[in-house]
Amino acid sequence: MKRRVIAAGIALTLGLTATACGEGSGGENSATDGKGKTLTVWIMEGTNPDARPFFKEAAAAFKKKTGANIKVEYQQWATAQKKFTTAIEGGAGQVPDVAEVGTTWVPQFAETGALVDVTDKVEESGLSDDLVEGLKDAGTLDGKQYGMPWYAGVRSVVYRKDLFEKHKIKPPTNWKELTAAAKTLKEKEPDKVAFPVAGGAEMFATAFIWGAGGELATEKDGKWKSAINSPKSVEGIAYYTGLATKEKLSPAKVNTWTEKEVGDAWNKGQISMSIGGNWTPKAIIEANPDLKGKLAAIPIPGQDGGMSRSFLGGSYLSTFNTENKDLAWEFVKLLTTGKFAAKWAEQTNYFPGQNSELEKVAAKNDPLVEPFAKQMLEAGATVPKTKAYGEIQASQVIPRMIQSILSGKASVQEAADKAAKDMDAIFAKDE
Amino acid sequence: MTTVKNKHSKTPTGGGGAPEAGDTRPAGRPAPAPAHPTPDTAALRRRRRIELTRPWLLLAPALLVLAGLLLWPLIQVGKLSLQDYEVKFGGGVGTFTGLDHYADLLTSGLLWKTVLPNTVFFAVACVGLTIALGTLVALLLNRLGTTWRLICSVAILAAWAMPAVTGTYVWIWLFQPQDGLFSQLAGAIGLIDPATTNWFTERLPFYAIATLNVVHHGFPFVAITVLAGLLTIPKELYEAGMLDGANAWQRFWKITVPTIKPVFLVVTILSTIWDFKVFTQIFLMPGGNGSNPDVYNLGVFSYIEAFAKNDYGMGSAAAVLLTLLLLAITVVYIRTLFRQGEEEL
Repeated sequence: MKRRVIAAGIALTLGLTATACGEGSGGENSATDGKGKTLTVWIMEGTNPDARPFFKEAAAAFKKKTGANIKVEYQQWATAQKKFTTAIEGGAGQVPDVAEVGTTWVPQFAETGALVDVTDKVEESGLSDDLVEGLKDAGTLDGKQYGMPWYAGVRSVVYRKDLFEKHKIKPPTNWKELTAAAKTLKEKEPDKVAFPVAGGAEMFATAFIWGAGGELATEKDGKWKSAINSPKSVEGIAYYTGLATKEKLSPAKVNTWTEKEVGDAWNKGQISMSIGGNWTPKAIIEANPDLKGKLAAIPIPGQDGGMSRSFLGGSYLSTFNTENKDLAWEFVKLLTTGKFAAKWAEQTNYFPGQNSELEKVAAKNDPLVEPFAKQMLEAGATVPKTKAYGEIQASQVIPRMIQSILSGKASVQEAADKAAKDMDAIFAKDE
Repeated sequence: MTTVKNKHSKTPTGGGGAPEAGDTRPAGRPAPAPAHPTPDTAALRRRRRIELTRPWLLLAPALLVLAGLLLWPLIQVGKLSLQDYEVKFGGGVGTFTGLDHYADLLTSGLLWKTVLPNTVFFAVACVGLTIALGTLVALLLNRLGTTWRLICSVAILAAWAMPAVTGTYVWIWLFQPQDGLFSQLAGAIGLIDPATTNWFTERLPFYAIATLNVVHHGFPFVAITVLAGLLTIPKELYEAGMLDGANAWQRFWKITVPTIKPVFLVVTILSTIWDFKVFTQIFLMPGGNGSNPDVYNLGVFSYIEAFAKNDYGMGSAAAVLLTLLLLAITVVYIRTLFRQGEEEL
């Protein structure tokens, strides 16, 4: 009954506009006419320090364009995956129409059939050639793309420029120099952590695994097998954990830190140098204005020069299989292209998912942005693109390995073998 | 009129002892029918039927609610534990695997060496300390005047009212390695070297901190409940005890404890159930979310299996194990207590 009234209302309004503007608006196709409809949108909390005004503006623009309302529901990173899974189980009535989906979640959600394959729509809109390759790849499975890359981030090395100048330290270009720089920092600035080896920060460790030429896992004939205990991977893990266990550059309290605690310590001015995401410098300066002008960044040095690869992660805006999926795609397009994409990247300090937008960011020559852009374009890496890897991450296989080494419960090789076993068990389960 | 009244007063007790009634009646019913085929049979049978159905009818609404809220999820978890379950859009698919998950679970070294010992020892320590501290506080409150009792009650209730998440973060903050208050104190008196000590990576200190947290959060309930019990004990009993020369220690064990034994029974069972299934307080501590397998307890283990590895079957099997464990403990505990009570009578 209610629906019929709404339909009548829509018909009436359409009729009126048609008479008022002639053929002009009659060309709109019905799928993207959202009058009276409301899209539910799930966005992760915390990426944009204040996302509310942004979405108010976006919702207004979308309403003007299609007549539909937007209802944004903010989700927590820590619990979102579980919430998504529950909603997917519930079906079309439970899932949002549009959602921000972390790139490593895409395989899992896509496999359930919840996400819409938008490959054709991306092609139609002429967007496919402009997408940042690594990011596009992260959300594409068997040639099907499950959403639009929205923003991306990468980790590099962030350090205190003032301390480096004061103690005449040159930014390191290889691992040996990195150790030497951290040692000098520890000696001259004993109150600060010279280089945190944070046991809970998975993506700190992976940079050194990749940096030594190792891999987390490799695929052969569609089957994944762990490679985290290969000699090269072990070399990387040994170097990274050795910074704490042998060189004592990272105190015991850091053993259980995650990236959040590293960020908190930066804000308190307790860190001299660390791995840090491209979103961190601005956040640190915002929290601790004293550090303005005292921070600098470089790509993570390679073992013998060059760069170590670092995790290129980000978020997709994906549409779910609901009755509003065509309308939802319009909203995804609005947010991931043009004005709103640029604005989001600017407000969040993340990189946009399109080459054209990324070039604009790089062209600004900001010293706190450029090294990250270089890392992202030249030395980005992705984790195994399978549902199983999402589970490996969620069950903390890598932090577990690092922490057991840091607390002295296992040798590097033992811990790596254990991690390989855990990984393979999960790969085998999901086959 | 009297018979009706009689029946009414009988039915609730009949319903209360439901399992017993159910056992005896089917056996008793067929016997009288063929033995005495009197004209009264029909009326008698009807009365029996009413007698049989009325308590259940009266209980039905409560039972339905309980079944919907408690039994149904329990059955679902049980069902899940026998399946390999895969989430699909709009409803997942389960493949029956029999008791595989239980076999895997019960043969895993992790369960016997880490998960179960952690769960059991932690719960025993927490229950013991919660009851002891709660009782001591109750005895204190009982001796205080009205004003001070109110002030103290409000203070301890604040600890109880604090959400587990907030409380946990406060304890983590206090024990923060190197920078936390307790780390600094322990460092200052030379107990530890703050730079090389991380409380959270070792099993014992980790659980000691978790115990403090749980006891701090749990003792107010015990204190208030025991206090309510203490207030019902007639003063004459103590006066008589004192006249007989009993000292405070003897008065406590000979008068207080036996008199309010049911209260202790209730708080112990509830604390046991709560402390066995502690999850939040462990999960939120550094390393408690799965990155340190040494500190797994059954709750965290079940969560990691189900929601991190998406192995819902295994997670459910662990949950069922926890339920059975609690059930066994509760049954044994209640039986011993009631048996003791009977012997004394």
